[in-house]
Amino acid sequence: MTKRTFRTLLMSAGLVGGIFAGSATAVLAADKTIKIGALFPMSGPGSYFGAQDKQGVELALEQLNKAGVNGFKFEVKYEDSACGPLPATQAVKRLLDQFKPDVVIGEECSDATLAVMPIMEQAKVPLLNAGSSAIKITDPGNPWTFRIMPNEVMQGVDIATKAYKQLNARTAVLLHENTNAGIGNANVFAETFTKLGGKILADIGFGRDVNDFTSIATRVASLGKIDVIPTYTLEGQGLKITQALAQAGVVKGGGGQAIQLGTIWLPFGFEQKAGKAAVGYIRIVQFDPTDQRDVVRKFIEAFKAKYNQDPTHLNAHAYDQVMLIADVVRRGAKDAQSIRVGLAATKNFSGVTGSVEFDKTNQNTKMDTIHYMETQPDLSWKAVK
Amino acid sequence: MVSAILSSRRFWLIMAAIVIGLLPMIFSDSYWRTNLIVCAINVLLAVGLDFVLGYAGQLNLGQSAFYGIGAYVSTLMIMKLGMPFWLAFACGVLVAGLAGMLLSIFAVRLRGHYLAIASLGFAVITYQILLNWISLTQGPLGIYAIPPPPPLRIPGLPVIEFNNLANLFYLTAGFALLTYILLDQLVRSPIGETLTAIREDEISAASLGINCQKWKVLAFAISSAVAGAGGCFYAGFVGTLVPDAFFITESFTILAMVIVGGMGTLIGPVLGAILLTVLPELLRGIGDLRLIVYGVLVTLVVLFMPGGIVQAGQRIAARLRQRAGAGDTVSRT
Repeated sequence: MTKRTFRTLLMSAGLVGGIFAGSATAVLAADKTIKIGALFPMSGPGSYFGAQDKQGVELALEQLNKAGVNGFKFEVKYEDSACGPLPATQAVKRLLDQFKPDVVIGEECSDATLAVMPIMEQAKVPLLNAGSSAIKITDPGNPWTFRIMPNEVMQGVDIATKAYKQLNARTAVLLHENTNAGIGNANVFAETFTKLGGKILADIGFGRDVNDFTSIATRVASLGKIDVIPTYTLEGQGLKITQALAQAGVVKGGGGQAIQLGTIWLPFGFEQKAGKAAVGYIRIVQFDPTDQRDVVRKFIEAFKAKYNQDPTHLNAHAYDQVMLIADVVRRGAKDAQSIRVGLAATKNFSGVTGSVEFDKTNQNTKMDTIHYMETQPDLSWKAVK
Repeated sequence: MVSAILSSRRFWLIMAAIVIGLLPMIFSDSYWRTNLIVCAINVLLAVGLDFVLGYAGQLNLGQSAFYGIGAYVSTLMIMKLGMPFWLAFACGVLVAGLAGMLLSIFAVRLRGHYLAIASLGFAVITYQILLNWISLTQGPLGIYAIPPPPPLRIPGLPVIEFNNLANLFYLTAGFALLTYILLDQLVRSPIGETLTAIREDEISAASLGINCQKWKVLAFAISSAVAGAGGCFYAGFVGTLVPDAFFITESFTILAMVIVGGMGTLIGPVLGAILLTVLPELLRGIGDLRLIVYGVLVTLVVLFMPGGIVQAGQRIAARLRQRAGAGDTVSRT
């Protein structure tokens, strides 16, 4: 065997070993273990969801596994579901076949969540979702899918009412990506705002492939007096829109009058990236870092100690997903079926993001997971009560 | 005798059929069976593209559009008109083929980069239509709960259900094998020789009396019809349709399968499609590094195997034969 052939063989063996080493974690699982499959986007435009979700999950695991819950430890296996129906289908099947989870958390994008729901139902494993807002996920309801986050109708009605009654907005321009969740959220806002007496001046949708928002900002600037601009996009496009609107002098951050309204889709740190253009931006977050509840203070402290950074709402909602599962285990659940029953019976679970109680469709009915934050001139947040 | 068997096409096709038959038995979990179906669909897309690119020499970057057209047409026929699956399938394939024909009627006047841009433009337009014609396609709201192909009832045999992943794989892979055989016959017929002549030198081909435009239109139509068939299977398999599944990046993925496997050889794109489908799944074990390793490996293949896996295999085989020949000579002297 020549040196070269030997080297090639060695490299191939290393690569194959590396590939299979990762899958070996599933084999190490102990008997008294609750296995949690984590279906997060870790590649593509929604990858920031996955990275931050993972931090929240890891912190929860570290805390729970110190003493265990009812004699159970928790083990998590992550799969990249890439925010798309086909990759999510492949990822969830890998989880179900190879890891055999008792419960799965994720996905973040509605299209991917909707694609995996029938697979979870067939496998009879509960899916606990925190980040997808499309109404179809819990309407008419699926016995195996639970959602912590307020759906698009709950969010849309709340934000439109707040805009009309508290911010005294009478005119609005809707900006949204052309996705299930983007269109759904925008439609609910428009319906509620119009019913209250407000006027929608324009409803502008765009694909995720749009990179330059100058023409859209110019069009918005030509629409006259605008009070609010509800915007439904992921971070990348959100930044470009906010900066383009500021450059066009439409929003407060650019010296204009309009207030941009946003959703939980944007991660923390958005303001720092957008700079002064984000001043005056009001958005929903699922986590209020100024909240004085003990559970929140302890979470922030532990998160800072572990990661040396402030937690985001994505960290918080992933943390809450695992903590809710732990709560169900504390109440006696030990497998997929009993976790499903336990989740459905949840009453007033108090998490970092707010409280959780599911209705018949497995939608969380508690609205205290919605927090409004306004960006200040120094780019810090002020809670809008 | 052995070398005669090994060089026989029929032998390899029978072997392929046996492998297809065995694969769901070897991979019994639903995850790997899912990947097998994705492989079969990708094989269809890759051999379809190779027919127009590798044989007719037309750089078509619109394959994602024909894939999407097949998926949406068949699904809408089933869900809105209540059409039976196989009729809807035929419509999907036909409409995708006609769309390819329509594009090529204008595009065959173009060559090289210009044709690539024109076909890419077609893919962008198709994506925008799928996305924005909400009253018809549901756009980004998506179409959900698309049923799999209906059960097959053959008298005297148990009913074959296609909600069973193994059966769905047999159907998809069987169709892919059939397509491969048909395309293989086609490229070895005078039609294939004509297309190759056009690819090598269009002016010389025209001087021999070949109507190049007509043949290029035919190649486009066949290629896009095959991609349309892939789309029909995709819809019934995933059960969910959103336009993002047919974004232009999908065209580049299919192109990568053809290039990595080996353009202008039908077996090359089959290998490329299998490799580029299975590799990212195998690499899931290494977590966050997965896509980096995948990218590096694909780059290495393109850098060190410019003719694709097939050409690299042929070179290695030739070198081994050469060495064996040299060994014989040494032992004789």
